[in-house]
Amino acid sequence: MKKANDSTLEGRQPRKKLKDMVIVDVDVHVNETPAALMPYCEMPWRKSLEALTEMPQGYLNIPGYAQAVAPWPPFPNSSGQRRKTVLTAQEMRKDLDDLGIDIGILFPDFFLFHAALQQADYAVALAKAYNRWLVEQWLHSDNGLKGAVLAPHHDPIAAATEIRHYAKHKNIKAVYLPTAMVDPLWGNRRYDPVFEAAQETDLPVFFHSVTCIHPVFPFNMQGFSTLFSAHVMAHPVSCIANLLSMLETGVPVRFPKLRIAFTEAGIGWVPWIMMRIDKEYNERRRDLPFYKDRPSNLVRNMFFSTQPIEEPENLKEMATLLTLFNGEDSVIFSSDWPHHDFDHPNKVLQIPVSDEIRRKILGENALRLLNMEGAKR
Amino acid sequence: MSEDLTIATVNELPQGTHKVVNVGGKEMGIFNVNGKFFAVPNTCFHQNGPLCLGAVSGTLIADESTSWKPEWTQEGEVIVCPWHSLEFNVTSGQCIAYPQRKLPVVHLRVENGNIMFPGKE
Repeated sequence: MKKANDSTLEGRQPRKKLKDMVIVDVDVHVNETPAALMPYCEMPWRKSLEALTEMPQGYLNIPGYAQAVAPWPPFPNSSGQRRKTVLTAQEMRKDLDDLGIDIGILFPDFFLFHAALQQADYAVALAKAYNRWLVEQWLHSDNGLKGAVLAPHHDPIAAATEIRHYAKHKNIKAVYLPTAMVDPLWGNRRYDPVFEAAQETDLPVFFHSVTCIHPVFPFNMQGFSTLFSAHVMAHPVSCIANLLSMLETGVPVRFPKLRIAFTEAGIGWVPWIMMRIDKEYNERRRDLPFYKDRPSNLVRNMFFSTQPIEEPENLKEMATLLTLFNGEDSVIFSSDWPHHDFDHPNKVLQIPVSDEIRRKILGENALRLLNMEGAKR
Repeated sequence: MSEDLTIATVNELPQGTHKVVNVGGKEMGIFNVNGKFFAVPNTCFHQNGPLCLGAVSGTLIADESTSWKPEWTQEGEVIVCPWHSLEFNVTSGQCIAYPQRKLPVVHLRVENGNIMFPGKE
């Protein structure tokens, strides 16, 4: 019997990992508690974190810090009894070793909900504290742990300053743009300074979603009565909404060197949205006067992380799916470890594709995205 | 080689107007753009709609040269398909949405007040 604080990963390394395969996981999570960030936070917001240490802490949920709208009835053991947080770099390295993962890109836990914070000064202070803490506590050695700078949408100038400041750090490889509940969506021109900074510093931007359906986003799906429906819709729809917002203001052509990645939405939606936007483009090209050809060509150049990878009864369908959007070159592995719906590399390795495609999806595509091609084996 | 065909008179097609005519059994749209005459097939590649029954206007373009702000260009040169609004520049045949799509354009000559369609070589 495993204990609730056990990762349950040991002895289950990837079965088909090839000798010369490097596995890059573009989405693993660190647990940034208010107590952990306190010493890194400026006043007066340090006092807020101090007050939050008294608050009850749920899974990705602390009132006043990470406001998950989660009115779902809980039941014992519904999401599996195992540890679902990673508190230290050492613990993360051990977990990734057990998963067979060489390089992991770190994202936050609670700040998946960062865009939902209402007060801009507070939100920016928390983002700055997180970035300081991340670099100091997690990115201090060459152990395969790499970071994504949290860019607070509340203040694009402050976000751009954070990006430029941390881009110089050898273990910062990406920018994290909170995706769920962001308002206005990321295509709004107020965010141009963020994209300018990312393009200038040559860091890819990762849109990371989380299960969150807001009363106005999108439409009335807050009427869902189960976590099942909310989880199915919230992740891909929040990515789709931000993708469309960026397409309608021309972000991919205005920032032609910007590298864009979508995280935690699976990949099944990608060919669907590509076909949808091409269809609309026929009729509404004047809405998108920036484009000289079908907009799906621009989406084809973006990156999509695997988790939560779709699991059809016949896994050959996943191999077919990859052919519909050049997934061979644009899909990047992610586990989402240690969250409730993490994917082991085994699930991706089970997809019946060539070893060459496995190498690309499990690592090489991510190394290209992250400008780390030197890490190839 | 067949002789050139008279397909309309200049008086029938004032500047800025267009119409659909039958040329040897094929429907063609003919256009007067600033006193020059052009003909394109009356069929859109998209879903085979009657392209030239649509309206002529300019179109919106945005790129680096416009600082990514939409600008109205090609006034009087763009036919918009009445079915799904695909746009073509009738002087070049270029589809605005797709660089690889081009209509064959016939440059029409005027003789004694008549608009002439070239005969087959």
